[in-house]
This record gives sequence, structure tokens and C-alpha cells, in this order.
Amino acid sequence: MSRGRLARWGRGGLLALVAIYSVFPIYFITVQSLKTAEEDVFGSPLWVLNPTFENYTELFAGSRARVRGYVIVPRVPFLVWMVNSALVLAGSLAVTMGAGVLAAYALGRLQPPGWVWWRRALFATYVIPHTILFIPLYQVIIALGLDDHQGALVLIYSTMALPFCVWILSAYYRNLPREIEESALVEGASPLAAFIRIVLPMSRNVLIAAGLFTVGTVGNDFMLASIFLLDPENQTVAAGLGVMDVSLEELLAVAGVNLAALPVAAGCALLARGYVRGLTAAMLEGA
Amino acid sequence: MAPALLLVLGVLAYPLGWEVWISLTNFSSRAEGAPVFVGLANYRRLLDDPDFWRALATTVAYFAVTTMAKLALGVGLALLLARPGRGRALVFLAVFLPWAYPGGVTVVAWYWMLNPPLITSYSVAMGSLKHAVDGLWGAGAYAFASVALFNIWRGGSFTAVFLLAALNAIPTELFEYARLETKNAWQRFREVTLPLLRPYMALAVFLSFTTAFADLANVWMLTGGRVIFPVLGTQAYWLGIRDGQFAEAAVRSLSLVPLLVLALMLLFRWFDPPREKPA
Repeated sequence: MSRGRLARWGRGGLLALVAIYSVFPIYFITVQSLKTAEEDVFGSPLWVLNPTFENYTELFAGSRARVRGYVIVPRVPFLVWMVNSALVLAGSLAVTMGAGVLAAYALGRLQPPGWVWWRRALFATYVIPHTILFIPLYQVIIALGLDDHQGALVLIYSTMALPFCVWILSAYYRNLPREIEESALVEGASPLAAFIRIVLPMSRNVLIAAGLFTVGTVGNDFMLASIFLLDPENQTVAAGLGVMDVSLEELLAVAGVNLAALPVAAGCALLARGYVRGLTAAMLEGA
Repeated sequence: MAPALLLVLGVLAYPLGWEVWISLTNFSSRAEGAPVFVGLANYRRLLDDPDFWRALATTVAYFAVTTMAKLALGVGLALLLARPGRGRALVFLAVFLPWAYPGGVTVVAWYWMLNPPLITSYSVAMGSLKHAVDGLWGAGAYAFASVALFNIWRGGSFTAVFLLAALNAIPTELFEYARLETKNAWQRFREVTLPLLRPYMALAVFLSFTTAFADLANVWMLTGGRVIFPVLGTQAYWLGIRDGQFAEAAVRSLSLVPLLVLALMLLFRWFDPPREKPA
């Protein structure tokens, strides 16, 4: 075999290995979630012979406690949780992107005095581990009247996602040639129209990058959700499954989290290319 | 600019101030009456506490191990994916997946994989692996390894995609020029690619710090506190929530901040050097 061929094979093998490494835990958990109780105990951990969607359908079985064999299947208002999760995600995205774009444009383009330091101060908040601040955070939430309300999570997630989003968006706006807006102004557009019709569409990929980062931040949290949402009717999927930590050992929980993750992962996969392009656009000429 | 600053600084300012204030008092659910200002007594006691030093060592080790691994993995994957070739798009999606798949879910996956519940067919195998690892490096080693692995898997994905974007942002002429000027691939990597990537690596490392913290908390919650190995965050959690010793918890929460501030200052030097008004 020639050397070039060997290198190509080696590279292919490496790529395959990388793919398996990345996907394996998700494959693994999906396999478990499709198992019946019998196969869970006696089958192989790596594949499933008699796949069943029992665990998934049971999530939607409603609020009647059901008995399967000798086991009482826990009741979960899963549909409510899904809706709540979607609400929190949408709210966090809206707040983060809205506030983020405004702040980034101000910092990157209008550049008020001290903007370098404002930008740094915002980023420096990452030094504070949010997950440890929850006692005083709870006081803030109660003072705002958001106790046991999804708004609390929207607020907190936004503060966690904003610094990075502002950072990349402002880097992009700073490097964007001024002539682009100026020509729009010459054509008779108002500054606001120029921003909405010209600048925003141009920064589409950067917006995607910022948005996906927000989704990642929201999706990663387990702890804050289960601390701030207590009433099962108000919980997100993460909070609901996090609180009943005993039932985490049931296939039902595994199916639940998998189901909740599916739309998010699909969306991310669709936007993955835009994500990389957006990050690249923000990094050009140094951020 | 105002809304974002108000949101981030407003929501965080009070909690941070509260933590600092509480760390200077004897506030605890056991103490009688209102919290009393005790100055730096809590911090002095902290320095004398061997448990604190052990937890600090574990935490620093955790950050060091995961960060180095994520960085190595990230650079490797980014370089691999940056070169055109067959199947690249698919592998790129696969690499993107660990980060895109909500962490609240994959943490369950890792929990099932590494610390399976009693009922599964592979529980015995994983159990003996756990005992072997714990026997080799001491109790808690397996738990430490499983949290670290989870964080590396997830964070490495983010770092890889982030650095891939950075590689794309570097003008290709630089690499072509480097090809002419250097003798071999290793030299090219060390003298051209690495310096060019360094600012982005610094940023990625810093972001990975923050997620490393969150993952620690996630696993803690998930296992209902069964992963018992001393880390500052979990120590603070025990003292604060289970024990009601809020002051002691606050001191521990804050003890890492100086280290992180140092990291942040280094980062700004590398990544955001002060410059004149850009053109």
C-alpha cells in the first residue's frame, strides 16, 4: 500500500473513531430507553432486540397512576413539562437576543466612553459561579415576585448566556464596515430601518451562533431549574426529572429526557453550519 | 446597552454582595439572633481547615485535567475537521452533537453508563470497574473520573467547534506561506498554527471553566449527593443547604473567585489587548 493511501485510510479511521466517540453516549441511552423491563435486566447493554416505545407513550399517559406488573409507574405531567421547557427556552432566547443585540450594537458600533471596560465587565461575570449563588438569588427572585415561576429561570439563564453573546455580536459589529449603513442612510432610510433591514440580516449567522449558545446554556442546566421550580405544574423537564431523583433510575426518566432533547438536537444540527460561520465571522480580524 | 447591563449586573450584583457580606458574619441557622459581623474570622478558620485544602486540591486538579484534555481534544478535532475530505460534514455533525444535545439529558446518559442502577444487565461489570478504579486510586476516584469524562466529552465538543471556527477565520495565505517556510508538519503546527490559535484557545478555556463548574453541580444534583468526593462547590452546597451554615458556605463559594479573576486577567491580555480606537 502506498504512503498516500495509508494516510487516507488512517484519516478515515480517525474520523470514524471520532464520530463513534461523540455519538456513543447518546446511542447508548437511546438503546436503554427502548428496552422492556425484562431486556433491561437480561439483555445486552449495547443493543435492543425487542424495541418498545412503552416508556415513551407512558410519559403521556396522563395523571392516573398506573400499575405495570408489580411496579407503580410514577405519574408525570410530561406534556406540561414540555410546554414549560419550551416557554423557558423561548423566553430566554427572546430576552438574550433582544438585550444582546442592543448591547452589542451599542458597544461595537456606537462605542460610548469606556465601552471596552463595559464589555469586559459583562464578560467578567463569568467568574462568578452561578450555581453557588442560589441562596441570595432566591431572595432576588422572591423580591421580584417570580417565586416558582418560569420567569425566574428566563431571568437567570439570560444573565448566563448574555456575556458571551454580547461579546461575539459586538466583535462582529465593530468589524462591519461603516459604509454599509452609510449607504443605506444616503438612500433615505432611517437609522432604525437601516439597522433592521441591512445590519440584522447581515449578521444572521452571528445571531445563530449567539442563539445556539443560549440554547446550549439553557439545555445544560439541571440544578437551577430544580431549585427554583417546585410545583410540578410549573416545572420544566429538567426540573421535574431532577427533583424525583429516585425515579431517575427508571427507564421512564431516560425516555423523557431523550424525547425532550430530540427537537433541540435536531434544531441545532440544522443550524450547525450557521453556528460555525457566525463564530468565524465574529472572529475575523481578532475579536 | 442599558437593558443587558441592567439584567446581568443587576441580577448578579445583589447575590454577590450578599455572599461577600455573609462570609464576614456568623450567619447560620444554628446561631441565635441576627447575624453578627465577625470580620475575617471565617476566612482564617478556612485556612486552618484540612478539608478545605483537600477540596481545593481536588477542584484545581479537576479544572486542570478537564481543561487540558478539552484543549488537546479540541485542537486535534478542529485540525482534523478543517481539512477537506470525504465524510467530513457528517463527522462534523457528530462532533457538534455532544454539545448541542442538552446537557441535562446527556448527564443522565453518562450516569446510566458509568453508575448504572442496580437493575441493568451491565451493572455488575460497571460495579467491578468502579471498585477496581477506587481500589487503585482511592475512594471517590471513579466518581471523579466519571464527572471529568462527562465534562471532557461535552466541553471538548464545544472547544473543537469553537476552534474550527477560529481556524476558518485565519487567512489561508498564512498557512500556505507556512508550508513553504517550515520543514515538517509538527514544526508548522508548533510555530504557526498554535500561536495563531492561542487567543481563541484562551477564550475557549475560560468558557470551559464556567461549564466545568456547572457540570460539577449537575452531577451532584443528579446523583442525589451520592457522588461523594470533596470539591469546593459540593462542600459549599452541603454546608449551606443541608447544614444551614450559610457563612461557612459563602466563604467556600468565594474562595475560588481570586483564582478565576487571575485567569480572566490573563485571558484579557491574550484575547482583548487594549488598543487604539479601531479604524
